[in-house]
Amino acid sequence: MSLKLPRLPEKWALTTTSRARKPASPGTPDNALAAELTRLLGDRKVLSSLPERRNYRYDAIAFGETPLAVVLPESTADVVTAVRAARAAGVPIVGRGAASGLSGGVVPLQEGLVISFTRMTRLDIFPERREARAQAGVVTLKVTEAARPHGLVYPPDPASFRTSTIGGNLGENAGGPTCFKYGVTGDYVQALEFVDEAGEVHELTRGAYDLAGLLIGSEGTLGLITEATLRLTPPPRHVRTLMAHFAEVGQAAEAVSRAIAAGAVPSKLEFMDTACVGAVEDYLHLGLPREAGAVLLVDTDGDDLETVEAERALVETACLEAGGEVRRAATDAEGDALWRARRSVSPALGRIRPQRMNEDIVVPRSVLPEVVREIRALGDASPFPVVQFGHIGDGNLHPNILFDPRTESEEAVHHLAHQIALVAIRHGGVLSGEHGIGTMKRDFMRDAVDPESLDVLRSVKRALDPQDRLNPGKILPGELEAPHAHP
Amino acid sequence: MNNDIPVREIGPQGEVMAHAVDACVHCGFCLPACPTYALLGDEMDSPRGRIVLMKEVLEGGLELELAAPHLDRCLGCQACVTACPSGVPYGELITSFRGWSEPQRRRSAFDRAKRFAILKALPAPKLFSVAARFGQYAKPLAPALPAALRSPLDLLPEHVPVMEPSAEFTPARGQRRGRVAFLVGCAQQALAPNFNAATLRVLSRNGIEVVIPEGQGCCGAAALHTGARNEALRLVRANLAAFDPDEYDAILSNAAGCGAGLKEYPAVLHGLEDEAQARAFAAKVRDVSEYLAELLASGDLQPPLPASRPLTVAYHDACHLAHAQGVRLAPRQLLKAIPGVTVAEVPEGDLCCGSAGTYNLEQPELAGQLGARKAKNILSTAPDLIASGNIGCHTQIQSHVRRSGSPVPVMHTVEVLDLAYRGEL
Ligand SMILES: Cc1cc2nc3c(=O)[nH]c(=O)nc-3n(C[C@H](O)[C@H](O)[C@H](O)COP(=O)(O)OP(=O)(O)OC[C@H]3O[C@@H](n4cnc5c(N)ncnc54)[C@H](O)[C@@H]3O)c2cc1C
Ligand code: SF4
Ligand code: SF4
Repeated sequence: MSLKLPRLPEKWALTTTSRARKPASPGTPDNALAAELTRLLGDRKVLSSLPERRNYRYDAIAFGETPLAVVLPESTADVVTAVRAARAAGVPIVGRGAASGLSGGVVPLQEGLVISFTRMTRLDIFPERREARAQAGVVTLKVTEAARPHGLVYPPDPASFRTSTIGGNLGENAGGPTCFKYGVTGDYVQALEFVDEAGEVHELTRGAYDLAGLLIGSEGTLGLITEATLRLTPPPRHVRTLMAHFAEVGQAAEAVSRAIAAGAVPSKLEFMDTACVGAVEDYLHLGLPREAGAVLLVDTDGDDLETVEAERALVETACLEAGGEVRRAATDAEGDALWRARRSVSPALGRIRPQRMNEDIVVPRSVLPEVVREIRALGDASPFPVVQFGHIGDGNLHPNILFDPRTESEEAVHHLAHQIALVAIRHGGVLSGEHGIGTMKRDFMRDAVDPESLDVLRSVKRALDPQDRLNPGKILPGELEAPHAHP
Repeated sequence: MNNDIPVREIGPQGEVMAHAVDACVHCGFCLPACPTYALLGDEMDSPRGRIVLMKEVLEGGLELELAAPHLDRCLGCQACVTACPSGVPYGELITSFRGWSEPQRRRSAFDRAKRFAILKALPAPKLFSVAARFGQYAKPLAPALPAALRSPLDLLPEHVPVMEPSAEFTPARGQRRGRVAFLVGCAQQALAPNFNAATLRVLSRNGIEVVIPEGQGCCGAAALHTGARNEALRLVRANLAAFDPDEYDAILSNAAGCGAGLKEYPAVLHGLEDEAQARAFAAKVRDVSEYLAELLASGDLQPPLPASRPLTVAYHDACHLAHAQGVRLAPRQLLKAIPGVTVAEVPEGDLCCGSAGTYNLEQPELAGQLGARKAKNILSTAPDLIASGNIGCHTQIQSHVRRSGSPVPVMHTVEVLDLAYRGEL
């Protein structure tokens, strides 16, 4: 048996968005904007039929208005064309990545244009400069996959990294488990290119006024990011994983405070409460301690094994002192499985109730035990299951209210969400660590930001987007009604 | 996802569908798993997008004919089911939806004739065999034919073997360890009779007696997945009558698609009077590799003879084995049990090969792109042999591997085992 290597036409690309021929949009566009865009860009890049457009009105949390047209640009020039056409038609523009956002960011609040970046997937690695240049639609995980052969990785790792795009990560300034030690998306952006509301292209670096920083986390309300230069780093040579479980959530938070006070700088420090553990067990069957009130997952890493082990020992002691039980991952595979468990928490909660209101608060680490206990108490006193998980090392918590919109009042859910937000604010915290404000938390902005500062934010928005054309109704509390969680 | 699907009007299948839609939190975790999303990169051709489309058609807010092109492009590979942390039973959703929507579809006469031919020929081995032989003679004409007619011909092997019916009873050799019933499958009998012959030999050698109950027929999966629900119900009930689960230790299939079909019976009959019977039946259904791996685990599997030289076997996960039935380890364990065999993991192994039941015939272009991509990925492992557990994948992979100029043989997992037992590997 001999092997002749095949020579096949390179008709496919190994990304999630190949340039394979796409069946053209059926029928003729039913509105002027779609018709004009089709004329300018061709029917391959423009979706105009109803079922196609309707599928661009939601993200991972909410549904909104069906757009008039959807553009799937393949280059910055296509974006410019689309923005100018939308401007001429006087309609709003929503930028969209993988729509894995959890705050309603890509949900159109009015009829308009959606620009979906999933086909802008060019990615170049420059190992000598330790940089990657990625178009907005590159899937997050692909950056590390492409960099790894050069001995480099891209550290930001939102739990959604197999799906989410670099554009969306920048839009939300996404973080992930490693952000405690290594920082969030914004910390890895050297430069970016964006298209403004008038259709002009700008290249920003981080010098002078950090305008790039302003765009990062602006949720598509100040400009559309088309490309970014990202910093890559060599991966740490050693990683050690530890899992600890506690009878009660507050204990887990105490362990975290103790470990950090003792000088440990874990690369990841995550927690999930008992309901999360149960939901994940139902999905992955890993043998997690279902009976525990809370579970901590910790990685320590670095190039010096002794330090890495010593740091793990510090964390272990802190966990034991706080009343926890500790299990060390014996192998890399065991560590990987535990992290897969953590990444699956959020969607696995769908097994408990079909709908959830997701918070994204950040509080000072010193008050973590009180905050998680107060939220637990609010949950216990309410008719809804309230679960908690998050990047506890940063004080970034995701309390989630699970509910069934068919039988339970969304108003009551909203009220409880507001109470939880107030707990955070009362303890010196903020409303969003990484998922953004979007529409879901827009109304709480008035509690979190004083009126003068809110005015400053409004004038920034006016300066960059005078006609309020870019993702209107997001972040800043104002005129447009927020959508309900579901249609 | 909150929905207003009129469950009462639709009946029990409406419940199945509404439950699946409910469970989806539209997180998008399934997107990177989906082959059509990988090829087309748009939301309507992703699992999440299709769930929303089906929901809206069911609710009456979207015309079926508008959503249909995107739903038709779904391979039914269920890679999204494996990827979904919320446990959305997408397979049950799309199958029920196809059953519900097919009677309302407007199809061209040509389309209808093609579907009729497929549905009649697939479950009737003799008819299929004749058709395949006829097709074999038509093969030289293929380049001149339109794509829709060319694709089935492209898939036919160069040589269509003569059908050999299997014996109704195969005794156990040596110490008797078990008694199983075997579903012989349809197209497979015509295209690859050795799959069944090898299966019977391997089971018998391991002390298992095999009954091929009379009255059994097609598992119904093809009919079900193309939306011919009444036809499917007829086939399902014929099999429930033919197989008495109490009589056997297990009911075996060696075709991943059929096995998955059999395991789906309770969902098909959900809410009907024979649902309980379907449950008892499905509880006994195993893929042949699962059953043999259980023997291996308990130390009861006869050790295969070593391969004549070190062999790299690229194992291809059939979607209906890996995603629909969750059987991944068993076939690998069996192959690894042959001394001298190394199992190679195929890059992008979770991506469908494009065969997916009748997909090849209905969506030849996408199927072709996926087939070529699969062949390239498999050959990148430089295998001596390619193994899989499904006749559809087998023909698809074989045809694309050959097209790329490689002579590497493609076999059923059990055929590899059979060769090893005979000292011919
Ligand atoms: C299960 C699950 C787990 C998650 N875990 C995390 C986590 O650990 N950490 C975290 O930070 N987030 C997490 N998220 C939220 C979400 O995945 C991130 O916010 C992610 O960055 C969004 O990427 P996306 O491509 O899906 O963007 P989208 O959801 O499509 O868009 C997000 C926002 O960015 C804007 N935007 C998108 N593309 C552009 C562009 N090119 N230019 C300008 N603006 C743009 C949109 O308008 C929108 O406001 C999670 C989500 C889910 C469903
Ligand atoms: S992964 Fe599951 S819950 Fe998430 S969008 Fe896909 S089907 Fe829905
Ligand atoms: S079954 Fe396969 S093709 Fe269909 S939506 Fe799921 S992953 Fe995509």
